[in-house]
Amino acid sequence: MARIKLERISMRFGDFYAVRDISLDINNGEYVTILGPSGCGKTTLIKVISGIWRPTEGKVYVDGMDVTDIPMEDRDVGYVFQNIALFPHMSLKENVAYSPRVKDQGDEAMESLSTEYLELVGMLARAGMFPDELSGGEQQKVAIARALASGSKMLMLDEPLSALDARVRVELRYELRRLVKKLGITVLHVTHDQEEAMSVSDRIVLMRYGAIAEVGTPLEIYRRPKSVFAANFIGETNLLECTVSDKSKNGKTKLKLRGGEEIRASKTDFKVGDPVVISVRPEHVYTATDGLEAEVTAVVFMGTYWRVRTTAASRDFVEYNVSSDDEVPSIGDRVHLVFNKKAIVVFERPRGGIEGEIKLE
Amino acid sequence: MDGAPVSFLKRVDELSGSSKVRRSWFAFACAVFIIVIVVPSIFVVTKLFTDWGLVDSVINNDGIRDTVLSAVANSFSIALVVTVIDIVVGLPMAWIMVRKDFKGKKWLDTLLDMPLAFPTAVLGISVVMFWGAPEGVELPGLGIVVSPYVMMIFLHILFTYPYMVRSLSAILEQIEPNFETAAMTLGASKWTAFRTITLPLFRAGLATGFILCFARSLSETGGTYIALTMMGVESTFFTGPSFISWLKSDTSVYSADEMMGAQILISVIMIVLALLLLVVVRKAIAGFHIPLKKVWPDLGRKLSRGPLPKAKDVLTIAFLLVVVLLPAFYIFMYLTQPIPDIDYGVLLGSIATSFLVAGVAVAVDIVIGVPMAMYIARHRDGKLGQTLDGLVNVPLIIPTTALGFSLALFWGGFGLSESFALLLVILGHISFTYPLVVRNLIGAIEEVDPAYEEVAMTLGAKPFQAFRKVLFPIVKSAVIAGGILAFTRSLGETGATTAISNTVNTVPIYITKLVQSGDYTEAAMCSIVLIAICFVIMLVLRLVTSRRSGRDA
Repeated sequence: MARIKLERISMRFGDFYAVRDISLDINNGEYVTILGPSGCGKTTLIKVISGIWRPTEGKVYVDGMDVTDIPMEDRDVGYVFQNIALFPHMSLKENVAYSPRVKDQGDEAMESLSTEYLELVGMLARAGMFPDELSGGEQQKVAIARALASGSKMLMLDEPLSALDARVRVELRYELRRLVKKLGITVLHVTHDQEEAMSVSDRIVLMRYGAIAEVGTPLEIYRRPKSVFAANFIGETNLLECTVSDKSKNGKTKLKLRGGEEIRASKTDFKVGDPVVISVRPEHVYTATDGLEAEVTAVVFMGTYWRVRTTAASRDFVEYNVSSDDEVPSIGDRVHLVFNKKAIVVFERPRGGIEGEIKLE
Repeated sequence: MDGAPVSFLKRVDELSGSSKVRRSWFAFACAVFIIVIVVPSIFVVTKLFTDWGLVDSVINNDGIRDTVLSAVANSFSIALVVTVIDIVVGLPMAWIMVRKDFKGKKWLDTLLDMPLAFPTAVLGISVVMFWGAPEGVELPGLGIVVSPYVMMIFLHILFTYPYMVRSLSAILEQIEPNFETAAMTLGASKWTAFRTITLPLFRAGLATGFILCFARSLSETGGTYIALTMMGVESTFFTGPSFISWLKSDTSVYSADEMMGAQILISVIMIVLALLLLVVVRKAIAGFHIPLKKVWPDLGRKLSRGPLPKAKDVLTIAFLLVVVLLPAFYIFMYLTQPIPDIDYGVLLGSIATSFLVAGVAVAVDIVIGVPMAMYIARHRDGKLGQTLDGLVNVPLIIPTTALGFSLALFWGGFGLSESFALLLVILGHISFTYPLVVRNLIGAIEEVDPAYEEVAMTLGAKPFQAFRKVLFPIVKSAVIAGGILAFTRSLGETGATTAISNTVNTVPIYITKLVQSGDYTEAAMCSIVLIAICFVIMLVLRLVTSRRSGRDA
């Protein structure tokens, strides 16, 4: 059992707030990723939860108990570091047996726990080796086993995969999810890789400037982001400035692009004349015989599909995908673009403009 | 800039493009290192065979033999006790310097190095004044009567402790702090994390610190001899180096042959034991494992929290203040006394000699040390690299008195004797300061990615240009740090200078002579003048270099 509750957590360094006023509930056995650009305070947050840092304000509860003042060695939180931090002078077995050893649980517990968890991550055959004899991915598996062998019911992963090769990274993340789900452990996984966050988590906490920008399941945030920032940071999207030009009785909205071209969206709460921004993902843009006129500026092969980049008559940059088996236009061709009405998300136009809103730092 | 130096640099740049020129330059640096530094340092060992008669007669003379052996035994046991104390007190101090952040840390950092800038002869006066109540000194000390042995331990801690803290800090800084954090998230208390993780990773630093402190204590002459003189026991209590000093100062006790035999014997014993030590300590510390697997979580917790860690920090700082800093600075108490008449002509003359020796030695160290350091740093895996790396340490661990004696014998064999005394003294000072410069440089160059120079060369820079414009600016601060260390070390050296010549009058020699004739006040004033000059120079050097680097950036 490990339910985590954060209550108005702030962490201040001098005058700088690394994390400001964060409240969050995490359920037992939930896999939550904390996603955000670098410097947004995501690592600070898990360091506060694991007791490595004491928050300047706010409280941390685990299973209803206030643990804010409990030092990290008594917190029972597994922590996996970005730089792995396996003890270089100990064998893999000694590394994994470290927690039972320092808790003085006896030789038997050290033996059985280290065997069990090395087995679980598939590294038992190499128990006698030293960390520097392993590849990065293997080292990180052992580090995870070491954290789990502490018997902890929650695991903090601080960018655990970012130091690894692309291939290993992808394999290990599924392995990681399978493992912790099997053990029923609550996981907080910090990452700046949105693809990684999408593919492993039950829920994503999107952070920015030390605060939570948005919380939701990967699908919710991808399909219905609540801010221009989230729409842009998670997945790829086209952002176009528009004005609401007309609304039908049932709320269906018509929008006018900067060049005056009109497009249809589904129901919104905006009024006629409101300045808005729409987000439409490349996979929801199609070519047709009629629609927004655009000139092709680049065609890029992405591996499984083509990405076509265009400049529309409205002076917006619009990208769309073409299946790798299909014909692609050449640079300079004129095309007509239409958007999947249901997939268009409409936002209030941010005061600082789109650029300011999607800036990462 | 005027034309001449530019075209000279250009020519060097051009020449450096040829691998033949580079190889012969490195060969030259190696040759100088071997012929001028290594061989003369240990030459005395050959005397054991060529002049066995002299040594044999000393060995057969019970009186001298016992004195020599007890002197050597004193040297080694004092060095051992001092080094162990340094480790015990130095560890928590290194911890404070690296892992803690507090107001005034910069001050503490500077204070820590201060005793290194004092000539050891000065420290000798200061320490005896502080702890004891020597006759002929008007100033009140603590008046504690201790045996010469204990007093030597107090004295040697002063100039070895900073080395220990520095070596330990350097390693601690390289140990990933995440290791401790990881251990603590796994349930280890701070104390347990330190014992099981950090301490075992410390071994390399411990070996370096151990060797540095042990060698420094073993070879110290000036301070030891002055302190013993002030206590009035210089002719009854000996360390190896102080015995040689005493032999030189009082030629009436033994015959010339006996003296030569005794000096050869002492030098050889100390050189051989010191070299053995270098190997043994390295091996022993590298192979040492803390046998204790068991952990006591409750005890660890008690040691990690509450009053105990605080008490440890307070005691550490108190030790630094009471045992290291106060005794070192006690000499300034003489400023409260009426100013005595000093023969400024002689004092300034000796200062000029000291600065000439130190300046030339450091300049030579840098010029022939840079190619050596570059080679060692970049060829760590090669046989030659490893051999050179070991050889560089040799002059560092040989007692400087023995080194000086050996050097004088070596060059004396070529007919270079008293008339070239100054040159010989400079050669001697090059020998024991060279490792300080090279060690610092190797450390710095190893940190620099060779890719920087490679990039510069792909952009068309000649090797020397790449060195001058890319590598050197990066390691400049290490060159300066090593240079300052070597300079102050040369300035404070007594043993090697006396062993080489009786006529070259450096400041520590002059101060020693004043103490021998009982002129403590004059000796103290000269010391204060010397310290003041040192600080001004170091300050100016820091200012100049920091401004220069500010402009370059």
